[in-house]
Amino acid sequence: MLSLIKIEWLKIKKYPAFWWMLVIVALTYPSINLMFLNVYEEISTGKEMGAIAKMLLGNPYAFPETWHSVAFFSSFFIVLPAILVIMLITNEYNYRTHRQNIIDGWSRENFITSKLCDVLIISTIITIVYAIVAAGYGFYTDSKTFYRWAEQLEYIPLFYLQTFAQLTLAFLLGYLIKKAFIALGIYFFQYLIIENIGVSWFKYKVGNDLGRFFPFEISDRIVPPPAFIGNFGKDAKAGYEKAVAAVPEHVIMTIILTAAIWFICYRVHKKRDL
Amino acid sequence: MQPILSIQGVSKNYGSIQALNSVSFDVPQGCVFGILGPNGSGKTTLLSIILDILQARSGTYNWFGKPGSAATRKLIGSLLETPNFYHYLSAVDNLNITHAISGRGDAADIDRVLEIVKLSARKKSKFKTYSLGMKQRLAIGAALLGNPDVLVFDEPTNGLDPVGIAEIRELIKQLARDGKTIIMASHLLDEVEKVCTHVAILKKGNLLTAGPVDEVLANEDIVEVSAQDTVKLKEVLASIPGHTHLKEEGKAIQLFFPIGTANMEDINRYCFNQGITLNQLLLKKKSLETKFFELTND
Repeated sequence: MLSLIKIEWLKIKKYPAFWWMLVIVALTYPSINLMFLNVYEEISTGKEMGAIAKMLLGNPYAFPETWHSVAFFSSFFIVLPAILVIMLITNEYNYRTHRQNIIDGWSRENFITSKLCDVLIISTIITIVYAIVAAGYGFYTDSKTFYRWAEQLEYIPLFYLQTFAQLTLAFLLGYLIKKAFIALGIYFFQYLIIENIGVSWFKYKVGNDLGRFFPFEISDRIVPPPAFIGNFGKDAKAGYEKAVAAVPEHVIMTIILTAAIWFICYRVHKKRDL
Repeated sequence: MQPILSIQGVSKNYGSIQALNSVSFDVPQGCVFGILGPNGSGKTTLLSIILDILQARSGTYNWFGKPGSAATRKLIGSLLETPNFYHYLSAVDNLNITHAISGRGDAADIDRVLEIVKLSARKKSKFKTYSLGMKQRLAIGAALLGNPDVLVFDEPTNGLDPVGIAEIRELIKQLARDGKTIIMASHLLDEVEKVCTHVAILKKGNLLTAGPVDEVLANEDIVEVSAQDTVKLKEVLASIPGHTHLKEEGKAIQLFFPIGTANMEDINRYCFNQGITLNQLLLKKKSLETKFFELTND
């Protein structure tokens, strides 16, 4: 495993898109959260509405809620590392190195394991960026709540699992479709359009929650919207509590779906012509 | 001696197209083994199967007496079809990956092979900036990494200029002199004839013949004769005993005998006794090209 990671690092470390992705993620994650933080500060510092807003919102960027809020808002940008994951697998087809790696002495299992390592490494990097951003905002917005930093730390592994699961879906598309632009197109279409419309359709038209079984939605619900959302609207509190209660179920479904995808990739790669 | 590669009954289909039909042959140690065939005959499919890129429908193959595996592939330097490298990496970085996967070679060896394939000056340039010939030479360099005892080359001179072709041909001869076993697929008959000791000929997935080049080519004796009076020579030769047929070849006439039966002295004496003085009498080897067309033409 370690030797596979070393070889993948040889491939990645001089790949410009990897460093671009890292820079963009390192800029995007703080920026999106800064945007929400600014909105919060604007509302909460108003003379008349400030006290009400503070009561309703709490401080979503203070410890421990920062772990949750930053995970939720940052997860909107999973498409950035997804582009990289798709590029890394489709590059192998494009350069025909998926064949050369085998010719040079990898087994077919080695090849899929190396890609699994890629997705794990990228998920780890993304999670580290998220954790740094969350901790940074925790310190920056309210140093008095620092003593609560160890609460809600479960959002770090939850964010990691969500990232890994959604990047696994990106990998699956790249692996099966082999063409970067088509895989990216399908990824964006499914993630941004099909699932949003589908989930809403099931919820408001059909009147059930079957939309939660869409591939991305399964892992999307691992990190529910931040707690302050539950303070808006008459059904919001119940909705929030229901979402939180469903997290363990979605964690299990996510693990099963993700494991099934990798299992399928191993099986397909073992049998198919390269 | 145990063959380096033994192929037993390998078949492969692409849908309804039979790409290989129960192909079997052995590659002895230390030979230069040419796999010949027209386009679409199954050469690359066969090499792809023995390198685990394609799955055979049936049949088996053994490298070094063991079933083909990742471990056996690490011992073989291979160039299959096209040079396959990461476009954004340099020659050195790409060969570092080859080394890391195969375990063949080291940093010093990377410099050595780049010197052999004349890419030292461009070793830090990105692969995508290389010409077709340079890419092909890098692929040959990657195969040579770690000085493996067995090399597999699929159309090794593709994309090379005439000087490059001559250099690679000389390199293959040198590798053969060093005792390496080389398995080479090509449709360039001249190339194979110049370097190969053994040959297998494929057509539409069927193995037509396989064995040492001399045995494959020599299934009859060809005697080329000429004289001042070609018309009379032809009349005389028609009555010569033992030959199977004759053919005019420019001003000369070729006489065909079953293998090992042509006696040059008898032919010379027979013609002289019939009043013909020969000005040319030559026992010829059939060219690979002739044999190839004989076997592959419908």
